[in-house]
Amino acid sequence: MSATPDWMLHAEPSLCPCGCIGRRTTTSFVDKTITGASRVMRQALFTDDIAAKPGLLQRLDPRVKVVSVLGLVIAVAMVRNIPVLVGLYALSVVIAIASRIPAWYFAKRVWLFVPIFTGIVVLPATLSFITPGEIVVPLGTWFGHPVGVTSQGLRSAGLIILRVATSISFVVLVALTTTWTRLLAALRAMLLPRMFILVLGMAYRYVFQLLDSVTEMYEARKARTVRADADVRSGRAFVSATAGTIFGRAHSMSEEVHQAMVSRGYTGQARTMSAFRVRTTDVTWIAVCAMVIVIAIGIDRALGR
Amino acid sequence: MPSAADPVYVVEDVSYTYLDRFPALTDVSLRVARSEKLALLGANGCGKSTLLKILDGLLVPDRGTVMAFGEAVTEDALEDEQFNHGFRSRIGFIFQNSDAQVFSPTVREEIAFGPLNLGMPTEQIVERVDDTLTMLDIADLADRAPYQLSGGEKKRVAIASVLAMNPEVLLFDEPTAALDPRTQQWLIELIVELNAAGKTIVLATHDLETIDVLADRCLVFGEDHRIAGEGTPHEILADRDLMLSVNLIHERTHLHHPHPPR
Repeated sequence: MSATPDWMLHAEPSLCPCGCIGRRTTTSFVDKTITGASRVMRQALFTDDIAAKPGLLQRLDPRVKVVSVLGLVIAVAMVRNIPVLVGLYALSVVIAIASRIPAWYFAKRVWLFVPIFTGIVVLPATLSFITPGEIVVPLGTWFGHPVGVTSQGLRSAGLIILRVATSISFVVLVALTTTWTRLLAALRAMLLPRMFILVLGMAYRYVFQLLDSVTEMYEARKARTVRADADVRSGRAFVSATAGTIFGRAHSMSEEVHQAMVSRGYTGQARTMSAFRVRTTDVTWIAVCAMVIVIAIGIDRALGR
Repeated sequence: MPSAADPVYVVEDVSYTYLDRFPALTDVSLRVARSEKLALLGANGCGKSTLLKILDGLLVPDRGTVMAFGEAVTEDALEDEQFNHGFRSRIGFIFQNSDAQVFSPTVREEIAFGPLNLGMPTEQIVERVDDTLTMLDIADLADRAPYQLSGGEKKRVAIASVLAMNPEVLLFDEPTAALDPRTQQWLIELIVELNAAGKTIVLATHDLETIDVLADRCLVFGEDHRIAGEGTPHEILADRDLMLSVNLIHERTHLHHPHPPR
């Protein structure tokens, strides 16, 4: 072994003694990335836990779930009355509770994004410019014409927001009560191209692998960071270097994965095993959903516009 | 009909260079007998893993020939459906990096991947998957995703995924690397058991502690990517000069000498 350099034989004299002086450094992007990565892992484990609970939807065949939700979403799109939509939304909440999904979590998944994204899109539709009608909130005049939020506009906006929220609720129900692998298998059984599903499944599996690599690299940087990362330029250089390294690792990993596949007889054709069985519960569920759809559309048509 | 005395592999003067610049193997020749345990020994980067990949038809040598079960393994031959099917079903490769080998969304699908690609009937696949899960004591992991597995568990799954195809030859790349002592011992016993069941074992390693159990014969690779020596584990471990010349041990390394075979 080569000789140990002299400077390594003594402790660094310039290092501060241990003890707090009260000055804090703000959390850097390194910490945020590490926390973000572990949040993704926690989230994945949490949804897997929900999918493993003995609830109503968890007992159903994933194909049945996908088909029934598709039917319900189409029904939601056809309904033109707010009370009927409220009823369908209430149904989704009941199913969520029966499937042991925490109510706050279910509501948060839907209502955190719907008002932001759909709300912004439909906001102009509430104004008398777009939807003329009875002005309930006057906002002034424009060339002598009164301008404001109309009741017809509010109704249309409410209808769209509720439609989106209800549709998302039904989709979230399937996503939360079905593990990703079973969902993929269900989609495969429903005639989606096998290759597409194979690639999607492998992408999901290796996202976690890359997440591990990123966390390791950021932890290694954190371990060697004494001051706060005030230097934006070096921070940027680190992020781009990380991205480059990850790209390189992904490339070599993909090569090895392909070799591992070829080694076990893969010749470019995706073959999969589906082990689904449709049981009485599934048939009953489909019948109930079909009935709900017919009744909802029936009431909607009876109420008129 | 091949007889029991026919070698599984006959490799003649094989050379391989990565990117036309970095030599990995130079004029390597070897024979692997049926049901033997052969260890490829050498320092890091001497070409052991490359040789295993060539034996599994994943890399094509720049020069030289590889015969497996009496047939030439070439790029052209591997494109032939029947040859490819036969070759893949008879040879199993356990990669050093289990993360590359465990690529399916769940353990069950991973183990079913090989048998599915070999076109086995569904009932047989289900039976094989269940049997291999039980054999490797991983039945409780069947529906887990790879990111929920430890390193040792991933190694078990990788081995199960190959064993489900029931190959005649098993190629192991650094089988005991990065495993805890308990899992290492389990794996050593499994390899010995598989060999006793008639499987031919070829493994690349630099773990000298276990070599006397894991191999009947050793090939030692030098850092010039050529074969530097051959012998039983006892002969190789006793040849300290050879081990030093290929940089496999340090001057102060103490070797545990196995008892000579009786």
